[in-house]
Amino acid sequence: MMKLLSLKRPVNMLVLANILAFGLLYYYKKPYDKMVLIEGLIVTGLICLSYFFIIKKNMGDGYLFLVVSMLSSLGVLMIYRLDQDRGFKQILWLVIGIGLFFMSYYLYGKVKIKDKLMFYYYAASIFLFMTTLVIGSSINGSRNWILIGGYSFQPSEIIKILFVLTIACYFKNSEQIIFNSKSVNLKWKLDNTKIISKIAFFLMVYSYIGFLVMQREWGTALLLFLIFFMVLYVFDNDIKLLLLNGAIAAIGGIGGYFFVHHIKIRVQMWLDPWADIAGKGYQITQSMFAISAGGFFGRGIGLGDPYLIPEVKTDFIFSAICEEMGVFGGIAVILLYFLLVYRGFKIALYIKDLFKKTVALGITLMFGFQTFIIIGGVIKLIPLTGITLPFISYGGSSLVSGFIALGILQALSKECYSGEEDVSDAEEQ
Amino acid sequence: MQKNNKIIHVLILMCTIFFSLMAYLTYFQLFTGKKMESNAFNRRQQLKEDDTKRGDIYDRNGVVLAESTNIKGKWQRKYPYGSLYSHVIGYNSEIYGRALIEQKYNSYLLDINELKSVMGISNSLLKGEKVGNNLYLTIDNKLQKLANELLGAKKGAVVAMNPKTGEILAMVSKPGFDPNNSALTEKWKELVDSEDSPFLPRAVQGLYAPGSTFKVAVAALALEQDMEDIVFDDKGIINIDGKNFSNSNKKAYGKLGLEKALVVSSNVAFSQIGVKLGEKNLRDMANRIGMEKSISFDIPLSKSVFPYESMEKTDMAAVAIGQGKMLVTPLHMAMLASSIGNNGVMMKPILVSRVVDAEGKELKKWNPEKLGNTFTADTTKKVKNMMVKVVKEGTGRSAAVKGITVAGKTGTAENEQTINGANKEHAWFIGFAPAENPQIAVAVIVEYSGGSGGTISAPIAGKIMKDYLDR
Repeated sequence: MMKLLSLKRPVNMLVLANILAFGLLYYYKKPYDKMVLIEGLIVTGLICLSYFFIIKKNMGDGYLFLVVSMLSSLGVLMIYRLDQDRGFKQILWLVIGIGLFFMSYYLYGKVKIKDKLMFYYYAASIFLFMTTLVIGSSINGSRNWILIGGYSFQPSEIIKILFVLTIACYFKNSEQIIFNSKSVNLKWKLDNTKIISKIAFFLMVYSYIGFLVMQREWGTALLLFLIFFMVLYVFDNDIKLLLLNGAIAAIGGIGGYFFVHHIKIRVQMWLDPWADIAGKGYQITQSMFAISAGGFFGRGIGLGDPYLIPEVKTDFIFSAICEEMGVFGGIAVILLYFLLVYRGFKIALYIKDLFKKTVALGITLMFGFQTFIIIGGVIKLIPLTGITLPFISYGGSSLVSGFIALGILQALSKECYSGEEDVSDAEEQ
Repeated sequence: MQKNNKIIHVLILMCTIFFSLMAYLTYFQLFTGKKMESNAFNRRQQLKEDDTKRGDIYDRNGVVLAESTNIKGKWQRKYPYGSLYSHVIGYNSEIYGRALIEQKYNSYLLDINELKSVMGISNSLLKGEKVGNNLYLTIDNKLQKLANELLGAKKGAVVAMNPKTGEILAMVSKPGFDPNNSALTEKWKELVDSEDSPFLPRAVQGLYAPGSTFKVAVAALALEQDMEDIVFDDKGIINIDGKNFSNSNKKAYGKLGLEKALVVSSNVAFSQIGVKLGEKNLRDMANRIGMEKSISFDIPLSKSVFPYESMEKTDMAAVAIGQGKMLVTPLHMAMLASSIGNNGVMMKPILVSRVVDAEGKELKKWNPEKLGNTFTADTTKKVKNMMVKVVKEGTGRSAAVKGITVAGKTGTAENEQTINGANKEHAWFIGFAPAENPQIAVAVIVEYSGGSGGTISAPIAGKIMKDYLDR
C-alpha cells in the first residue's frame, strides 16, 4: 500500500500534479464549477487505467505514455480554463486519442510488411493532399481542412506520420510492393545507393513539401524538411548530397522571403513586431505581454488574462501556460518534451532494424522539432509559423495523430526492450 | 555503429535547441519582460486597474486630495479640491491616461511591484480585495488654498517650500483645470485648444526670464569676487557696447554701493557688475545654482536654460539683470531663494514624502537630500541682509510682514511681448522668512502682468509667509 502511494512511482506524481492543477482551477474559478473536478477525475482515471494496462501487458517503455499524459492533462486543463465547451471536446478527443494509441500499437505489431509499403504510404498522402485541395475549406487563411459531418479534420496531421514511414522505407533499402494481387505481383527493388533511386526519393520528399507550401502550411513544411534533413544526415553518408539539400532549403527560404508575401510578413514581425503592433504584430506582441505578465511563478491557474491573445487555444497555448504557471511552468513543459524526445532517441539508438530505426528517429524528431518551432515562435525566438503544440494545443486532428505516432513509438520500444529485436546490450527496462 | 554516432549528434542538436528555448524564455523574462507592462496595447494593466482600488493621496496633514470610490463595482477617481491640484497631482483618466503624480507614482498607487510582477506572486492569493498604496505629499493644503486664492484669476505660479528640507509646501500653477473624470472628458477639447495652455504646469515647466530676482545670485557672486566695496555713479542709464541699460523709469540713484544697488534694483549698477565679473565667473555661478541641469523631481521639471555659446559684454550685462536668453522655472527660483536662506546649501525639492500601504505600514520614505552648494555660508549671510533691506526699505516693501523679518527680491521681467512696447512684464518675487531662521521660501510669478514685482507679486508672497508663520 505504501508503495502504491509513494511519490517514487512516476504515475503518482502525475496524479498529484493533476489533483493540484484541477483543484486549483476549481478553487480559483468563480463561481465554483464542479465539472472541473469531474473532468480532472475522468482524465486522471483514464490515464491511470491506460498506464496500468501498459505496465501489465508489458508494452515496452513505461515513460513515453506517462510524459505524454502529463502534457495532455495540462492541455485539457488550460483549454477548459479558456473555453469550457472546447475543454469538453478536448477530453473526448483525448479518449479517442488514447484508444487510437492502443490501436496503432497493435496494428503496427500485426502488419508485417510495413517496411515494404512505401508506395502505399505515398499514395495515401497524395490522396489526402488532393482531397484537401479539391474539397478542403480554409480556416484562418490556410486551405488545409476537410469538413466531415460537422467535424473539421486536418489531413496534414496524418500526412506527417505517412511521411516518416515513407522515408523509413527508403532507408531500409528493401523490396517495395507496388501492386500485389493474385494476378499481378509487382515489386520494385530499392537501391538507395543508385542515383535514380535517390532522385525518385527526393522528388517524393519535395512533393510533400510542395503540397504543404501550396496549402500555406509553412510550419509543417519546415517540420517535414527538418525531419528529412536530419534523417538524411544520419543514414546517408553522402555529405555533398546533404549540403545540396541544405542549399535548396536555404534558397527556398530566402526566395520565400522575397517573393511570398506571407513569409516576408512573418519574418518582419519576428524582427520588429512593434512596428505594426495594432495589425500584423498584434498576435505575437500579445503573446509576449502574456509571458511577461506571468513572471517566473505565474499568475496562477485561472487568474491570468491569456484570453487576450488571439488563437490562444491552439498555436499560442504555451503563452497561456507561461502567463498562469510562469516561466518555470513553461520550462517544466519544455523539459517534459525533452524527456519524451530523449526516450525516443534511446529507442532509435537501441533498435537495429533500419526501417524501425528511421521510424523511431523520425517520430521523435517530429515531436521535438514541432515543439521547438511553435514554442520558439510564440516566444519570438524564431519567426512564427502556425503549427500546434503536440498533445497540448486544442484540436482533434493534432491530438489524435500525436497519439497514433506515440502508439508506433510504443510498439518500437516494446520490440527493442523486450528482445523481439536482436538486442544484446539493451537490458534497460 | 556509425549511424548511432550520428544519431547522438542529432540528439545534441535537440539538446541545444531545447536549451535555447529555456534560456531565451528566462532572458526574455529577466530583461525585456518588465517593459511590456505599460504598453498601451497590453490591456492587463487596465484590467488590473479596474479591480484594484487606486491608492489615495493626502497632504502633509492627512487631508484627502485624491481618492477612489467604488461606484457600481467600478473604481472612480475623485479630486475633492477640483482644479486646486491639477498641476501637482495631475489626472487619472481611462481615456486620456495619466499625468504628473498620478503617472509617476502609478506603480505605487496600484501596488504594482516590479519584483512581485517578475516573480509573479499574485496579490489576490494573500488578500481578498486588491488595494493600492497611499501617498503622502509634502503639500500643506491650507497654504495651497491660500496661494490659489491670492493668485486668483491671474496667470502664473506660486511655489512655497521649506528651505532647509526642500519640501514643497504649496505649488500652484494657473490657469488650472478640473481633473475629475466627467469634467475632464467634457472640457478636454476646449482645454487642449485653449491659448492659455491650461495643461502647462507653470511652476515646474514654465520658463521665464528671471528679471531682477536674478540679481540676488549676481550680488552673491560679486561678494565672492571681493566687490563688496564697489561704488557706482548711477545716472539712470548706461551704454555698454552700444546697447543701453536703464533703470526702471530711468530713475537716477547717484552714488551707490552693492547693497544699495540691490535694494533699489539698479540695472545701471548690475549691468556693470556683470561685465566686471566676466563670462567665466557668470558661467561658473550659473552652473552652481543649477542652470542647464536636470534636477530630479516627483513630477517632470524643466531645465532652466543658460543658452550662451560665448558671451559678449552686452550678454554679461543682460544676464546680470536677469534678462537676455536665460530662462528659469518658478520652482528653480524658489530653490535659489531657499539656498540663500539655507547658508548656501541647495536642497533637492521633494513633493512626495511617504508611501503607505492600505494597512498603514510605511513602505517608502524620502528624506531631505542636499543637491549642492550655491555660495559660501558667509556670502549668503551678507546677501540675506541685503534682501532684508529690500523688503524693509526697497522695492519689496509690500512683502513685509509685521513682527517677522522677511528677506526678498522683486523682479519685473521683460519678455517677448514687452519688446514691442506692450505693458506686459512678468512680475516676480522671491524671498524667505524669518530671515534669521528661515522656515519658508517663496517664489511668485504673475506672467504678462504689466505691473512690477513689488506691487503685484510681493504682496502675495508676504501673505503666504505670514499665514504659514502665524500658525
